[in-house]
Amino acid sequence: METLLELEEKEEEGRDMGRNELNNQELVELEKTVNINITSPEDPLLSWTKPMNLSKCPTSYQLNSPQEKQLLVIADNFSSQYSHIFPNRKPLFLCPSNECGVKKFVSTTLRRTMLPYSSLYDWDNCASFVADHLVLQALDPPIEPPRYLISPTLVLETQRGTCFDISTLLCSLLLGAGYDAYCVSGYAVREMCLLDQTRQECPLLVGKVEVKDTLAEDKRQVRKYAVKPPRELRSSFERGQQELKEQEGRAEMLKRQQEAQRLQEELERPSVDPLQGQMLHCWVLVLAGKREILENFFIDPLTGKSYAPNDKSFLGIESLWNQHNYWVNMQDCCYGCTDMEYNLGDSTMWESVLFRITEKEEEDELEEEEEGSAEPNVFEMPSSWVDKITLSKQDLERRWPGGSRTTQYRKAKLEQFTPYLLPGGLVTRLTTYTDLECQEVDVVREWYQNRQDHLEDRELKRTSNVTTELFSPGRKLKLKSHSYVTLTPGTERHMEFYSKVRYDGLLRRVESPGEMEETFEHRDDLLYSRHVFYGQSMKTESEKPGSRPLEKVVERFHRDKSKAAREDVAERVFLLAEGCIEVTFHLEDHRIIPIRRSFVKPKMLPDGQRAESWAPSMATGYQVEPHENPPKNVYLYEMLTALMEEEEKVTLQIKRSELEVREILATREREESNTELRTSIYDTARNEKVQRYREDMVRAKEERQRQEEKEIDLLAPFLAKLGDPETLSPQEAKKLLEDCLANQRKRMIEQDKVLQARYEKETQALQQKQQWYQQNQLSMSKEDEDQYHAYCSDTVFRMGVIKQRQSRHKELGPQKHLALKEKLSRDPRLAPHL
Amino acid sequence: MIRLYGKVEQSVMDEKMLQDAVEEQGPKEEAGQISKEEGIAFNVVLQLRLEYKNILKIEHLWEFTSLTKLQLNNNLIQKIEGLASLSNITWLDLSFNNIEKIEGLETLTKLEDLTLYNNRISCIENMDTLNNLTFFAIGNNCLGQLDNVIYLRRFKNLHTLNLAGNPLAEEANYKLFIAAYLSDLAYLDYRLLKKETKEQAFAKYQYAIEEIQHNELQTLKATEAEQSRQDELQQHKEAFVEYLNGSQLFDSMFAHDQEAQKLGQLPGLVGLCIQMFESGIAEQKLREAEINAFFEVLQEAAREKQQRSAQLVADFEKYRKKRILDLQQVEDVAQQEAQVNQYMMDIKTLCDSCMLLELQLVDQLEEIIKDFERNITDMVGSFIETVQGIYPFQFQFFIGASHDSHILRIDNREDKLVTRINAWMMNLIKRIQDEEVWRNRKCISEIRNFKQHLRNQLEEVLHHE
Repeated sequence: METLLELEEKEEEGRDMGRNELNNQELVELEKTVNINITSPEDPLLSWTKPMNLSKCPTSYQLNSPQEKQLLVIADNFSSQYSHIFPNRKPLFLCPSNECGVKKFVSTTLRRTMLPYSSLYDWDNCASFVADHLVLQALDPPIEPPRYLISPTLVLETQRGTCFDISTLLCSLLLGAGYDAYCVSGYAVREMCLLDQTRQECPLLVGKVEVKDTLAEDKRQVRKYAVKPPRELRSSFERGQQELKEQEGRAEMLKRQQEAQRLQEELERPSVDPLQGQMLHCWVLVLAGKREILENFFIDPLTGKSYAPNDKSFLGIESLWNQHNYWVNMQDCCYGCTDMEYNLGDSTMWESVLFRITEKEEEDELEEEEEGSAEPNVFEMPSSWVDKITLSKQDLERRWPGGSRTTQYRKAKLEQFTPYLLPGGLVTRLTTYTDLECQEVDVVREWYQNRQDHLEDRELKRTSNVTTELFSPGRKLKLKSHSYVTLTPGTERHMEFYSKVRYDGLLRRVESPGEMEETFEHRDDLLYSRHVFYGQSMKTESEKPGSRPLEKVVERFHRDKSKAAREDVAERVFLLAEGCIEVTFHLEDHRIIPIRRSFVKPKMLPDGQRAESWAPSMATGYQVEPHENPPKNVYLYEMLTALMEEEEKVTLQIKRSELEVREILATREREESNTELRTSIYDTARNEKVQRYREDMVRAKEERQRQEEKEIDLLAPFLAKLGDPETLSPQEAKKLLEDCLANQRKRMIEQDKVLQARYEKETQALQQKQQWYQQNQLSMSKEDEDQYHAYCSDTVFRMGVIKQRQSRHKELGPQKHLALKEKLSRDPRLAPHL
Repeated sequence: MIRLYGKVEQSVMDEKMLQDAVEEQGPKEEAGQISKEEGIAFNVVLQLRLEYKNILKIEHLWEFTSLTKLQLNNNLIQKIEGLASLSNITWLDLSFNNIEKIEGLETLTKLEDLTLYNNRISCIENMDTLNNLTFFAIGNNCLGQLDNVIYLRRFKNLHTLNLAGNPLAEEANYKLFIAAYLSDLAYLDYRLLKKETKEQAFAKYQYAIEEIQHNELQTLKATEAEQSRQDELQQHKEAFVEYLNGSQLFDSMFAHDQEAQKLGQLPGLVGLCIQMFESGIAEQKLREAEINAFFEVLQEAAREKQQRSAQLVADFEKYRKKRILDLQQVEDVAQQEAQVNQYMMDIKTLCDSCMLLELQLVDQLEEIIKDFERNITDMVGSFIETVQGIYPFQFQFFIGASHDSHILRIDNREDKLVTRINAWMMNLIKRIQDEEVWRNRKCISEIRNFKQHLRNQLEEVLHHE
């Protein structure tokens, strides 16, 4: 073989491979120290395949075809030469056993499959699905390749496998989707091999960088005129000194921060890994060129994330393979995979097991072939022995094995669930901790889906004990978010609403024990804020809560351009406790002091009548223009009256708001204690109503069919005569048959009679006409004569037709009779008795 | 129904009648009491009802300038008059009178609802300015000509029309005629005009209506064209180069000189004019941009200052009430005095800081006004130079041997341009400065007044005790 020669040439190079081999004894010791958190059973194969009946496997799983046998010989040959030339390198992962204990070449285990789901068409979705769907079975020992390579079909079924199994599955799917993908066997850092993400930030927590808007600032700068800032009357020396001081302070602060950060990092640094560079891993390489991939990248099958080929986590490559060939790395890996080249056609870098022309050279080769100097008998990789990979829709939707998965990140724990798995609709829960050991809970954030109460997101901050809930649009009172400590009314809370769909334009309602502030948007009366201050409740606690006395209500309004500024109210203060009302109007142009009016309400009698009449002293105010006439008393009086009416309305409105809050809280409590999920009407699998409807449809259809059959049941009238008996005795059956046939005969005769009668009628009419003709022949006009002849020929024709029908009826009679007899004898009710 | 003069006692609209009506129809109950005590000014009254009063002549209504609704029905009025000053009126009821002619409504442009029911009017006329008319009742009159109704086509908002009881309503095709010619009308004689009726009417009068529509469209187009021409001219005037974008100057020059007209049609001369015209338009745009930029900054600075001062005042106001209450409660004289002093000091500080802000603003504005003045002077100067560069010498070159009167005419045009642009500039700058002075005075007086107000209030409180 050619390869052998080349291998020998590179022997020297291979010896220099920068890999520190450990001797056996050391290894054993290491295993004792390292192999703590790896849980792997004694014989993985036994435990995995127990539920699986191996005898059910197709024969290709249990036997090798002649071609495969030949391939195994080649591989054997290759690996013995390889171990001869590179005694220091690890034995190659070429022909592991499959689940049936049969040796299979790794390339043939790759089964190119495209699954019929559009969500698995792109590599990122596909990889994250594979990562989510399977559970890692750690290698044991972590520095040796596994003895078994399970077929992707079984892996999908059992939902567990080593990194080699998972890579094989992912690679099969990617190849099916058209990517230029390869399985890579090599070395990686411990965290990656063991799927240890406890040092990583949770992906849900990073990547929340806000983009600042710089547009507004730019706009200001292009002005031609600008006012100078006012002169500052301060000593520049003093300022300089202060700045100096501040700078020092800042530097000090920065230093302290850096120090703290350094300490923190030191604390978090992982313990030294004694197996650094020895841990075996298997991942997927995607080369550029196909499916619009521009650069090579790695995919870690355990997390489904992509990495650049020079990522520090990948420490070395031993070999890689796809469905066509197997390549051994001939490049130096002492600096990880940073300088690795993936030109697989170059045999100085990649040594292939099978002689195979790469696709690039294929065209040249073809030309050569035409010239007659083609390579004779190139051994092709046999096709895969694995069955077609299948995946059910339920499995795709369930995603995680058992429908849930928990992942530990740095200071965070992420739990994910399949929709509809949990009765509360929970799909994701992210718990963040303040310490590295994950003891002190900081924030618990939960995401929900398909909830009837439209809850989407709930966040509980442990430090302040504040719960924040977010809702999607569609709730009855248009609640958008709700932050609270407890659900009892009158305590601190912050509610936001979808103001556009609320008739009162309410945007926000913030409550604290003595206050309530409501913010509005887009109201016709331009009200934008209502701030309520409650007084101390003098009643005892046993009385109804929420009936606190109002002390002060402040309402603020936007400027209404259609009114003059001096008549446009900016702020209304109802001092209910003092019995006063204060009104402030909007500022006029260039004015700095607004017009103000304050009123003292007249005392009221208990029956709602005023006890005092108007007195000018009830209204006081500040007049901006001193020369202007003071406002008329009528004007003030009417204003006061209007304000008092408004006050009543506002009080009512506040009562209504309080009621609304109480209603929301009650609803929330009810919903929380009894959560319901909603299903889309298009979701046929879950929506019971739709399901029932469909079943009804099917049943109705069947019913209809049955009905139709019943209608043409010839025996029905005769059975009815017998009283529709369940079973028929032989006598009854015979009688039925006879009745039925007799009936038909009778019918035939009747039909014949009808025809005969018609014939006779026609004949009679013709005869009469003829008589009439003969009597009046002489006195007839030409036209009448013609008419008579036409009538005669017409009648004769009709008689001919009737005659014909009669004869056919007679002819068909016996045939019809036989056919009915035949049919009846086949009838399931009569057949057993005949 | 015609009332005979002799039988009823005629009355005159005098002050007493008006006063009584206003009081009677003004605020009720307690508010009425109050208003009676202090009297009601006629110029704030919004509605007035003067019906069944046997009024012969409309008089003394000039003081009711805010009036929006006036009812003068069931009187003996013969002539519509004395309503010219009621420009806010939207509702006018003159039904059941003896009016013979529609007149005196020209100034009532806001009028929406006009009732002339049961009078003696024989022609619809003199209503051209009532563009907002939506309701018009002129039933029980002497209208005889159906064609007269076409006059109402000009009221685009007319919604309801009452014509019943006129001679013309007796005509056979009355309803269809009106439905056809007033196609936007919804109600005729208080009945809905059905869609079918309208279609039928349209079919009947299709040609006539189409002709009228065509004519109206023509007129509309002509007015629009005239309007846009006027606008353009106005724009050119603002740029001081009107009538220079063609050969008008020369046409006017040679209007009485047949021979020299050929000279005027030389292409070079018109070209020069157009060149000037274009530079004028461009300069005008630049000036406008300059003015806009200036005013933007000016207004922003003023607004900012206003906000800051208003904030100061608002902060002060927040505690004012409480402090005065405190003052009233303090019993110790010395302590009270100290507090009063403190309060006075605070008032002073507030006013001082407001004043300071105002002074700063004055300084800032003065500076940018100066800048602006300089820039605009430069611009105007350079424009005049350009014009003068093109203008006299070159024209003289062309018509060197021309008549003196021609040269005079050209010079006059130039003088006119220069004078006008200078006047415009002076006006602008003066206006800006005046406005600034006015603003400043207003602001300072406001601060003073406020200070006085606060002190008065304090004294009142102390005095009260």
